[in-house]
Amino acid sequence: MAAFEPVLLRNRGVEQSTTLKVYESRGGYQGVRKALKQTPDEVVEEVKNANLRGRGGAGFPAGVKWSFLPKDRTRTLLCVNADESEPPTFCNRILMETDPHQLIEGTIIAGFATQSQTAYIYLRVEFHEQFHIVQKAVEEAYAAGYLGKKIFGSEYSLDIYVHRGAGAYVCGEETGLIESLEGKRGWPRIKPPFPAVEGLFGQPTVVNNVETLSCLPHILERGAEWFTSIGPDHSAGPKLFCVSGPVKNPGCYEGPMTISVRDLIERNDLGGGMRDGKKVKCVLPGGVSMGALSVDELDMKLDFADPRNYGLLGLGTAAAVVIDESVDMRMVLQNLARFYGTESCGQCTQCREGTSWMYKIATRIASGAGRISDLDLLLETARNMGMMPGYSICGLPDGATYPIETIIKKFRPELEASINAQAPGKAEALFTVLN
Amino acid sequence: MAKIIIDGQEVECRDNIPVLQAAVDAGWDVPHYCYHPGLSIAASCRLCLMEMKMPHPQTKEMGWAPKLMPSCQTPAREGMEVRFATEKVQQNQKNCMEFFLLNHPLDCPVCDQAGECHLQDYSYKFGDPESRMVDQKLKNPKKDIGPNTLLYSDRCVMCTRCVRFTDEVSGTHELGLVNRGSRLEIDVFPGLPLDNPMQGNVVDICPVGCLLDKDFLFQRRVWELSTASSICPGCATGCAIRVDHADDKVYRLKPRYNPGINDWWMCDEGRYGFKYIEDSKRVTSPIVRRGLDATSPEWADIPEIVQFRFEQHVRENGGEKLAAVLSPFMSCEEGWLLIEFMRETAPECTLVMGPVPMEGDDQSFPVGATGDKVKFTILNEKCPNRRGVEMLLEAAGGNQCSFDEFVEKAGGGSFTAAWIVGGYPKEWVSKELNKATGKIDLLVVQDLLQNSLMTSAAFVFPACSWAEREGSFVNAGGQIQPFDWATNPPEGGRRDGQYLYEIAGYAGLYNGERVRKLMAAKIPAFKEIHEPPVRPVHAH
Ligand SMILES: Cc1cc2nc3c(=O)[nH]c(=O)nc-3n(C[C@H](O)[C@H](O)[C@H](O)COP(=O)(O)O)c2cc1C
Ligand code: SF4
Ligand code: SF4
Ligand code: SF4
Ligand code: FES
Repeated sequence: MAAFEPVLLRNRGVEQSTTLKVYESRGGYQGVRKALKQTPDEVVEEVKNANLRGRGGAGFPAGVKWSFLPKDRTRTLLCVNADESEPPTFCNRILMETDPHQLIEGTIIAGFATQSQTAYIYLRVEFHEQFHIVQKAVEEAYAAGYLGKKIFGSEYSLDIYVHRGAGAYVCGEETGLIESLEGKRGWPRIKPPFPAVEGLFGQPTVVNNVETLSCLPHILERGAEWFTSIGPDHSAGPKLFCVSGPVKNPGCYEGPMTISVRDLIERNDLGGGMRDGKKVKCVLPGGVSMGALSVDELDMKLDFADPRNYGLLGLGTAAAVVIDESVDMRMVLQNLARFYGTESCGQCTQCREGTSWMYKIATRIASGAGRISDLDLLLETARNMGMMPGYSICGLPDGATYPIETIIKKFRPELEASINAQAPGKAEALFTVLN
Repeated sequence: MAKIIIDGQEVECRDNIPVLQAAVDAGWDVPHYCYHPGLSIAASCRLCLMEMKMPHPQTKEMGWAPKLMPSCQTPAREGMEVRFATEKVQQNQKNCMEFFLLNHPLDCPVCDQAGECHLQDYSYKFGDPESRMVDQKLKNPKKDIGPNTLLYSDRCVMCTRCVRFTDEVSGTHELGLVNRGSRLEIDVFPGLPLDNPMQGNVVDICPVGCLLDKDFLFQRRVWELSTASSICPGCATGCAIRVDHADDKVYRLKPRYNPGINDWWMCDEGRYGFKYIEDSKRVTSPIVRRGLDATSPEWADIPEIVQFRFEQHVRENGGEKLAAVLSPFMSCEEGWLLIEFMRETAPECTLVMGPVPMEGDDQSFPVGATGDKVKFTILNEKCPNRRGVEMLLEAAGGNQCSFDEFVEKAGGGSFTAAWIVGGYPKEWVSKELNKATGKIDLLVVQDLLQNSLMTSAAFVFPACSWAEREGSFVNAGGQIQPFDWATNPPEGGRRDGQYLYEIAGYAGLYNGERVRKLMAAKIPAFKEIHEPPVRPVHAH
């Protein structure tokens, strides 16, 4: 396979890549110039033709999302989702660290296409360094006249604010993000109204992921056809992949969506294989929320379609955590359950109570007091939660249940063996306290 | 109006009201916590989910949506079809009830809410009797959140009704949420307690025993309480209320749904304003004086004595020497009976409107709202029936004067006989009035609490609190609203309506509705009374 020419990461490793000067010297701010010479509708059309699917997790086509904005609107707001709270995921982080101007350029293009007057870049609070980098780049862009009034001599004006969250996973959910931006508790909103109609401050609003927007300069510069030539039809364009765990080269890589989980772990230009002779036992390939793969399922393609064939929720963030054979799956269950138990915002009954119950059960199993029936109880609890059956307002509980369900289904023999090997009577004796 | 189909049955409802409301109004017992018709939609408890027919997103063909939908969030539109009695819906209800109880203490034996708890009721009706939870429950703390209210966080079902109430109705924003997930709690900010003139409503709308009223705390099990439909006498707004009582003691007041007047709410002043019922200064038995001789005759003998003394007085002094001071705390019926008696005895007697207590300014809610944003108003007119008594006076015509004029004329000796009605929950007799009545030979004082007029009165009649009476009040908006009696008068007492009925020459038992019929024959306005709609038991 011919080496992939990086697109989104082409400036990684370049000296002072975060400065406007370097970004421009390497061909930056050309896509936006082209865009501003077209009509907004033409830009939307181009992005639709490129079939740019959202990189934030749901994979919804960006151009289509923009066309949901009401035609007769007078104000539009754009939110850039840089919350990136999904465990093992750091695609957005790398993009902001290495190429903030690419994001700014993409934001201007999306802003123009949607006719937004203001854009807010919403960063998770833990992104300290990234915040300063992005903030500095925004200031630089203002100073150069690339932001503010009449950008590049066009009639289009855009202001960008960089906003920091307060540390909640659920603020990455688009309406949780909107509430948080409004200064409220990050509670996802009930829909309708959808953000496109009534979003931030009651105005028509578009929320897009950092990586989605970072693709835009390239689509505008090189055209939709070029973009769709990368990867399969349903999963066009370059994509960032992360891999973490006991691989030789954990990190963030770019490629077409033709690579498999096995490629990501083993290829020398990617993960580089397992470290210290360890063996893969399980992989959570889409961030943790999409579910788990067993070692027999590593041929799954990291695209928008294939994960469903493996019982997973979707591509997610394409950030794989590799778990090796030395790890007790009971601990994995507990660790995952803990995350959702503490991150559920708590408004929906099933999610609030279900996530914390799953954590209690998983904790008990992990501490050697499990019962075989607990595995079924976990499965049933998982089935009783989630947005997809309509039980909840946002998708967090779907993300909470997929890893639990898939791990129990795919690793049941190991889990049962661990439970059967427990000291007798312990299950009855040990009740846990949630901490 | 829209016609929708619930479980195959056609139901008619107002356009765009929540499907949940339409179903509840039509008799379906749809479990719900977060939905409250007086608050914005949260759709977060996920108890009210139903199956709904929807156009397919691509083909636009109508079909049952694979997802369950919150019926509280879905507006009823002509022709729509929903299903409630299905396995899928019931499974969700069962799941929810299991989830609600996971961390719930189930301390019903010591919980004030037991007996009127929606968690108990729904668990019984929709839940599973057995819990599969073997782990330790999380115990969120009990908190003192304000002068009148306790919050038992561990019993909370997180419906956020209370938070939305302080945001949307009182507009005082004291309540908020802290933490996440199952550790989520309702709380106040340090130093900013829940303390606003409408805060008691949060206890009413809390579907469980999380928010509790200190005033009622551990006072009585609710199933021992009887209830009477009443009208709050606290101000001229005329909120419809329930008087909950047992063993002739009033335990608490709760608002009744009364659209356009108080909707679902009442104020704290009204809510806690019933304590004077048990005031130790209550007058409990009648006193009749002749010279220095005071007796407490049988109630049965009183009408004749009163009639005789008044007729004799009119014969000796003339009818224009007679006056009656009516109170804005009287019911319309009582006022009418007294006027009947006075005008029968002396057509030229003078009728007087007693003092109308006013305090401060009207208070509107949400705080700061004006115009049609106002959801509730506490009026500064602190009595229930000024309008009603005025209607009676207008209809009665003849000699009338203001209260100030009465005091002045009485002081000048213009009146030798007077019937003065009080019933005010606070001390109300002024020095001037006290002095002026010195000139009155035949004085009747009908009052609730002992006062200085009584020492010289020829007749002292105990007035009852509104909770012991029955009749109607006319509120500031002109609505004639009937109220029932809840408790009996204190030992030795008798309902004002009863003795006035007899004194006015009627035989048998006083009954507000019967008197209203008599009144309506002479004052047509009393043909139309305002009664709040009766709500299905399971609607709140
Ligand atoms: C619980 C939850 C957390 C999410 N977190 C993120 C996030 O951190 N970053 C992100 O871009 N999208 C996140 N999403 C997805 C967003 O809701 C939304 O779909 C996305 O930002 C849209 O951008 P895109 O169309 O460009 O992908 C999350 C969704 C859920 C349900
Ligand atoms: S599903 Fe969970 S995280 Fe999402 S809104 Fe409901 S409680 Fe909050
Ligand atoms: S809130 Fe209801 S279920 Fe809970 S302890 Fe009180 S009465 Fe029992
Ligand atoms: S305290 Fe009561 S009203 Fe408030 S959220 Fe909890 S259950 Fe609901
Ligand atoms: S009543 Fe509908 S979700 Fe709570």
